[in-house]
Amino acid sequence: MSRTKLQELGIDLPLFPITSVGSFPKPDFLVKARADFAKKKIRRGALEKAERQATEFWIRTQEELGVDVLVDGEMYRGDMVAYFAENLDGFEEGGLVRSYGNRYYHKPIITGEIHWVEPITLEWWKYSRGLTSKPLKGVLTGPYTVMDWSFIEYYPDRRTACLALAKEIRKEVEALIEEGAKIIQIDEPAISVRPEELPVAIEAMHIVTDGLPAYFITHICYGAFENIYPNMLDLPVDNFDLEMSNSGLDMLELFKKHRYTKDISFGLVDVHTHVIEGEPVVEQRLRQALETLPEEAIWVDPDCGLKTRTVEEAIAKMQSVVTAAKALRAVTSTK
Amino acid sequence: MELKLCNHSSYPRIGDDAEHQLLRRTIAERDRGEKTDQAVRAAEDRMTELALAEQQEAGLDLVTDGQIRWSDPISHLAGKLAGVRINGLLRFFDTNFYFRQPVVQGKLERTGPLLLEEFNFAQGKSTRPVKVVLTGPYTLARHSIEENGGAGGFDKMLEGYTAALAAEVAALAGAGASMIQVEEPALLKHPYDFPRLERSITALAMSKASAQLALVLYFGDPGPLYDHLQTLPVDLLGFDFTYSPRLVDRVASNGTARPLVLGLVDGRNTRLEDPAVLARQLEKLALSAGLNSAYLSPSCGLEYLPRDRAQQKLEHLAVIRNTFLGSPA
Repeated sequence: MSRTKLQELGIDLPLFPITSVGSFPKPDFLVKARADFAKKKIRRGALEKAERQATEFWIRTQEELGVDVLVDGEMYRGDMVAYFAENLDGFEEGGLVRSYGNRYYHKPIITGEIHWVEPITLEWWKYSRGLTSKPLKGVLTGPYTVMDWSFIEYYPDRRTACLALAKEIRKEVEALIEEGAKIIQIDEPAISVRPEELPVAIEAMHIVTDGLPAYFITHICYGAFENIYPNMLDLPVDNFDLEMSNSGLDMLELFKKHRYTKDISFGLVDVHTHVIEGEPVVEQRLRQALETLPEEAIWVDPDCGLKTRTVEEAIAKMQSVVTAAKALRAVTSTK
Repeated sequence: MELKLCNHSSYPRIGDDAEHQLLRRTIAERDRGEKTDQAVRAAEDRMTELALAEQQEAGLDLVTDGQIRWSDPISHLAGKLAGVRINGLLRFFDTNFYFRQPVVQGKLERTGPLLLEEFNFAQGKSTRPVKVVLTGPYTLARHSIEENGGAGGFDKMLEGYTAALAAEVAALAGAGASMIQVEEPALLKHPYDFPRLERSITALAMSKASAQLALVLYFGDPGPLYDHLQTLPVDLLGFDFTYSPRLVDRVASNGTARPLVLGLVDGRNTRLEDPAVLARQLEKLALSAGLNSAYLSPSCGLEYLPRDRAQQKLEHLAVIRNTFLGSPA
């Protein structure tokens, strides 16, 4: 585990650090505020007040649950790509396209040269940091995923667009670090879908992280990991935050064939089911992880962001993760 | 080379104005108990009519129903078969679109028509021939899992899907469908399975009667399989040209034994292609031995684009053809 790096950064974490991927569900009052804002019934200031209130709720909730590395919960974001597209120069909002079933989203279009104009997430990170003394992750969507989930009109090809995004996203990382962020997560859920483009994603991640004094995590989910493992280990990050439970922990089989060499944030609960996994199930998943991975390398969290669950479900799922981690900590410490 | 224009398969079932959000609205209202299934069907009918009208306005020679009623390319067909339950979401190839995975629990059986009613409705509303689009048996099997013994293994599952779709092909041909497109994008991810696909598509070809059967591949480069594909008993072959800059040259040098569906216009990106560039590619392709007629088409279904951009892509087909033919757009 990169304990040394964390200690150099001044962060001391227990065994099986407990975190979450990034998003939490928006409480009803914020859902209503967002709808009212969209209908121009309330002003931006009123919406932001609701977003701050919801952020505080989730910071307090994570502290009460016993989470070790907190997130701001992304109360101010809609779609994880559209949010960054809206705040970078060079994008236009595209029309609606289908995500699945009867769900649609506005897919961004890159119509000009991409520029980072000013900090995008920094104010929210600072606000959240002011609410807790625990370590707080900065969470950004990575350049490969922003590129892949956008239409590209301005740049001649996908690689050029991806690398241009990487240069600008690095500026957001630098801004977070300058303000004191020491753990930064770069979400790249799209990274596994075109294995032949993994070198592009790695090149882009180098641009984002090289030489910067932070512990870097990348979150990857819902893809064909078998197509990019073990080559994905070349991504210049310290920790892979992986969806494990939705796929029946089958990544562990890959780890047995080719040794896993980094820290892992191990997804212990499936975020796309209403079912709350019981403590024995979650604890067993962590025990299975321990059969293959060194204990000091394992962080624990849900498979993915919890924003699609209800507030109650999200808290219950986080509680399952916390309980399992604490139970195994106790067992391990008495060995 | 005679060059006709066609839609590939899907078309956006939503747009940014209220009229084009009818179906989304109605489904949401149905889900809240405020509307009936009948109201959803009426909304699907209306959106299908709009999709047909936009294709006709773009001057296409061959249109589709836009697959407006399809939840996704996998569960819409598999979910109508006995022996299947529909499970959670999975990513569809390298898109940011998700399908629901079929779980095969026993023998697969077609207990009634799958697309016949949809075809009859669309053909009744269209002034142009309507191409019927089927996700192929191999792609359905590759996106399914089995439980409790399932169909008895992958090959049995493939046989089950093949038998069901062969019966559907026969029914569609009997109802007057002149062109049936079978889509097998999964083959490009598993090229070693060509013999399996060959058996499956041969069974479908035996059921097509006088209809033309097109085998269409997308989301990958068919180049390595090109010569094998030319041996299949289908009337047309269709390719996505956006994944390989060398595919035009391969087709031009190897020739073709049958007409082609040329997916030269990128159905995944909003940028409009330079007509002169694509016209030059068409000129190369026109020199292919055996290529006497072809359809110019988007590379894949247009559902991956916003509606206004999908419409522009269709209109662009005519611009490209006119550039190729040397006349003003």
